[in-house]
Amino acid sequence: MAGTAGLLLLPPRTLPAISIGTMSALQTFMLVVEHDKEEAKRIAEGVAQDVESKKTTLIETVQSLGEYINDEDPILRGKAVSFLTAVIKALPARYLSRQQIQVLTTFFCDRIEDCGAIAGLETLQALERFTEALANEVAQALFSNFQDLQARSQSQRFQVYQLLNELMSRHRAALRDMGDISLVGIVDLMTGEKDPRNLMLVFSVLRVVMVEWDISNHAELLFDSVYNYFPITFRPPPNDPYGITAQDLKGRLQDCIAATSQFAPHAIPSLLDKLDSTSPNVKKDALNALIACIHSYDPNTVSRYSITIWEVLKFEILNAQEEFLSESSQEVLKGIAQRLSEGVTEASQELPLAQYLRPITKECNEQLQEPQQKQAKPAQQILSSLSAASAIAFTIIVQTVVAPIFTIYQEADGMVKQRALLETLVVLFDSAVKVFGEWTTRGGETIIENPLLEFKDQFSDIFGQALMGAAKEEVSFRVTALKGFLRLSTLRDFFQDNEIGLLIQYLDEILLKEESVGRGDLQKESIAALAEISKHKPRLIVDITFPAFVATLPDKDEGLDSSYLSTLETLAQISVERDIFETLFRRLFSKLSILLQKDQPGSVAYPRAILMTLLYVMQQRKMDQDPNVDLYFDKVVVGLCRSVAASASGKAKNQILNDPTVLHFLGRLCNLLVRSVSIQKQEQVAENVYSLFAPAEEFVPVPFAQTTNVDQERTIIISTYLLAGLSKDCGPRIPHTSPDMSALLADISRRSVSNTTEPATHLAFLRHQALLANKFLSKQDLSIAENLFDALVSPDPSMKQQVLSPATIRTVFWLSKALVIRLAPTTTHILTSLLALLSSVDQQTSTTAARGFSILLSDDDVLSTTNGAIIRLLSKQRVFTTVIPLISSCIREVNIAGSNESDPSTKTPDHIKPAHLTALAGIISTISTALVMPELPTLLPLLLQSLDLQTAESVAVRTATLDTLAVIIRDNGVVVIDQCGHVQSLVRRLLKTTTAAVPGSGAVNTPRLRVDALNCLFLLATRQSPSNNAPAARPPPSLSPLLPVKNQVLRSLRAVLDDPKREVRKAAVDARGAWLRDVDDAPEEED
Amino acid sequence: MEMQNSNPTILNAADLPTRLRPTARKPDHVGIFALPSLSPDFLPEASSDSEDENLLEEPIDEQEIYDIRVVLILDLISDHADLIATISDPEHPISLGELAVVSLPDISIKPTLPNVPDSPLKTVTVLITPTITHCSLATVIGLGVRVRLEQSLPPRFRVDVRIKEGTHSTGDEVNKQLADKERVAAALENGALMGVVAKMIETCR
Repeated sequence: MAGTAGLLLLPPRTLPAISIGTMSALQTFMLVVEHDKEEAKRIAEGVAQDVESKKTTLIETVQSLGEYINDEDPILRGKAVSFLTAVIKALPARYLSRQQIQVLTTFFCDRIEDCGAIAGLETLQALERFTEALANEVAQALFSNFQDLQARSQSQRFQVYQLLNELMSRHRAALRDMGDISLVGIVDLMTGEKDPRNLMLVFSVLRVVMVEWDISNHAELLFDSVYNYFPITFRPPPNDPYGITAQDLKGRLQDCIAATSQFAPHAIPSLLDKLDSTSPNVKKDALNALIACIHSYDPNTVSRYSITIWEVLKFEILNAQEEFLSESSQEVLKGIAQRLSEGVTEASQELPLAQYLRPITKECNEQLQEPQQKQAKPAQQILSSLSAASAIAFTIIVQTVVAPIFTIYQEADGMVKQRALLETLVVLFDSAVKVFGEWTTRGGETIIENPLLEFKDQFSDIFGQALMGAAKEEVSFRVTALKGFLRLSTLRDFFQDNEIGLLIQYLDEILLKEESVGRGDLQKESIAALAEISKHKPRLIVDITFPAFVATLPDKDEGLDSSYLSTLETLAQISVERDIFETLFRRLFSKLSILLQKDQPGSVAYPRAILMTLLYVMQQRKMDQDPNVDLYFDKVVVGLCRSVAASASGKAKNQILNDPTVLHFLGRLCNLLVRSVSIQKQEQVAENVYSLFAPAEEFVPVPFAQTTNVDQERTIIISTYLLAGLSKDCGPRIPHTSPDMSALLADISRRSVSNTTEPATHLAFLRHQALLANKFLSKQDLSIAENLFDALVSPDPSMKQQVLSPATIRTVFWLSKALVIRLAPTTTHILTSLLALLSSVDQQTSTTAARGFSILLSDDDVLSTTNGAIIRLLSKQRVFTTVIPLISSCIREVNIAGSNESDPSTKTPDHIKPAHLTALAGIISTISTALVMPELPTLLPLLLQSLDLQTAESVAVRTATLDTLAVIIRDNGVVVIDQCGHVQSLVRRLLKTTTAAVPGSGAVNTPRLRVDALNCLFLLATRQSPSNNAPAARPPPSLSPLLPVKNQVLRSLRAVLDDPKREVRKAAVDARGAWLRDVDDAPEEED
Repeated sequence: MEMQNSNPTILNAADLPTRLRPTARKPDHVGIFALPSLSPDFLPEASSDSEDENLLEEPIDEQEIYDIRVVLILDLISDHADLIATISDPEHPISLGELAVVSLPDISIKPTLPNVPDSPLKTVTVLITPTITHCSLATVIGLGVRVRLEQSLPPRFRVDVRIKEGTHSTGDEVNKQLADKERVAAALENGALMGVVAKMIETCR
């Protein structure tokens, strides 16, 4: 036992009399410390209290250890030292005197290798009276006693590092003053550490040394101490409780490598060497470390290595093996340019930045000699990242690159080459936008002038010429030119307004005069360009494009030429900005007003298109924030509604406002505006929801009208949209709602049940009724709607089987929808009543009701949250879980009855099973698969039975089923199907659905169905593991559940490759390819 | 592997031949002018593809071979990823279409038995243009095209893949290998070779 201090050398026999209490406390402590930490702690606290209350002294406590601390057994020694540590820990923070701390520190330092001493020192060093000199002493003790540290256990090493880390944070100056001694000591102590938890500490301690110590004598030693760990290949074990990732370690290591410029001579060559590695991950780590170094080292150091780095990295970019390596390399190069731009205010060829960029631009210029070849792309990318680094870098690059490009462009022998050159210029323009901003960019003006200004006229000429002078078929060439011109037009402080105006005129000409070529890419880009310019220079669009476009709009549609549609569409795309929209509204509204006054207005398609255009633009804008919204409200909601009323009463000049599609779009426009105006205006609307702002003597509102004609009834379309837009608070203002809504609901319901209305009007009645029941009916009054439901669904309760007309069934379902989505108390009753309709012996009742289930939960434009409908979050789940077991058991009954053929009386009609499957498909198509999954074992057999339906009527059901299956397979993989044990039966049915109709078989598989079935097969093969972002650990090798059917699938699909429809063949190629590629054969025996 | 041609010319993906969608549809029913269904019926009566359209046959043609079955594409740039133009070149992560190794005019479909007009048998001929005349990978590319076609064409098609005349220094030799059923079969047994081919075809989607 080495290094024992005088006081403690006393042999046990010579110890002075010791109080029995303390003696037994130590012994008890030593007995329990291993298995009962709490008890041990309590014992130590008791002793601490005795010390505090002067029942015993600290000296006595120390002396009591004497018997054990020289024992041969290190465990006994450790326990004894731990006892002292525990007592000290339990003492109040300010109890120990400076001298006591000093004695204890010396004691622990002597005993530093014993268990508990490190913890004792950690406690002491945190005390206020702990001195710098003691910190020095502790550090020395650590350095001289732990040469063998790496041979000790991980937790012991961790304690040592932890103590060092604490000393670093509390007594850093003391350690730093030790200079090279602490530097070398710390490095020696930590060298060879391998545990990730410890390394996290090691790296952070070393980084402090790197940054704060004078390391000039030992830079390489320090660098090597961390660089030895590069690259980090650590992979955390599964369920790692410490949660340290490779990325955490990489991050700390990278911080160390980048800690000081003095590492540069070692770090940069070493990291560049690592780029020779064959592992992309190693290269990536090296590049990331380089990026960190460049951001942290001082600019002079960066400059010294800049060209060396370029020379290595250029290969990574020009011959990129992996896209991400090329990107990281570009980031390195860009980082260098940014550092070298710091503090530079003027471009000059003497700058370190210019020297760095010179070989780069030279290389790029060479590659760009043949700009259509493969390596021109990386050259473009290099220019792109470097020129975006700073205004100065941009300037230097433009000065050396643009003129040569002009020369090659003039001499270019083909359009392919010219286009590649234009693309290169566009890349530079993109950088210009990043460096100098756009017209709409706020702040950040650069001090230096945009170097592109020097070439402004040449750009304007070249791009204008390429856009308008090239042959019309050269679409991609012209699109490139357009993009370049557009960039320059949005670039801040570049073009004058008249120069941007020139581009606008070109675009107008393309859109108004040219026939579209190919897919119409040029036209699409032109519209997008005008829309982009409208954000920056709205005035120019209003002044140039508007007059030109509006002038081409006809007075009316004679049915010969519908080119006004594309004009309107373009206007719609470019009119989102406020000023432009105001102009658009004024121009189009006056066109519409003129049309409404004409005796012979031509096709309604034109006024309808005008309304659609206005609607489209308003949907893109925030109308409730538009200061002109009241004006639009007065013109459209009040003005046009009044015209609708007049038209319905036969007092209009023409029939435009009697057309249901026109009313539909006018209605949506009104709906949007009603939602955007104040509550006062909404109350006016509520009062006029049926009268449509018309005087009573001129128009009879629909509800309670004794006699109505179709024109008059049709106004319910407008009324419905107005009602939908109203806030719930306006409810009491709606006519006929006092004392309650029963009369109004009954009247609307009566009208929607009547079979005489035209479809659009009928739909409006259905929605109107649903809106009233869902949104405006108070909770207390819900029974009104529920009674109405009962009266509709079983008009004669004495009849066992109901026969209902389709119009009645629609009314019933829309009313149910309104009640179910707000989770009315009778939801279950409603659903069971609806399901009962499916079992009706009347086939029409059954099949119509079956199809109704698809609207129960579907999203509706009118009954929507936007319009303030009450839609409870849990309604979908509630409906699904109520309906599924009922449908499932009903189908089981039908199946059993069907198999019992001896007794024809139990035979159910043939339409009942398909009806239930249709209802099921309808529900499933409107809910998310997350809700479906828990029910899958019940559901899957039903879905498979749906696929067995072969008739033409079942196409919709089967399509919905295949859609559901596709989503289930895509999100959850084959596994879930396999768990239900249905893989083979599913595959068999899918294959059956992929075959085109066989004449005479009666089976109908439309192309859409065949494609959907093939898509499911494709997904089966590609989703064999549950998720695609699978964890690194591969699942244990097992045979694919698809293997037994692989040959059957490949054989069947070979025939589908000859399907008459191309779309189907394409899907078959993909599905077959996936099965060939992804469904692994059984591993061969000899493997 | 040392690159044989590190800087080939690349065609712009937008300029590759594509099948244009029929423009016959009424222009007033698309884009922002699409008309909604105003029927109160629960399900649309007729599915979007009408009966007539469903019966219309679309025979396999050259564009389809180019698109879906032969062009090997790495990038899923477009929605017209068709058959072969999407196969990748083993040296470059670029599609054979973009490298013009496979081009539309060099694909032909002819009746295998011109004297039997009713025979459904057809022969697809694909001519390959290597990016350089001494490209040693021409055989592998040819094999890739061949495998892709055999996997994705119905059995009544015969596949004939050849190097375009005058585009390769040992074109005849390569053609002999590609036409030799035994040697093709042997090549398909070769794990390493099939790995390269599988990698090429992987991008065909």
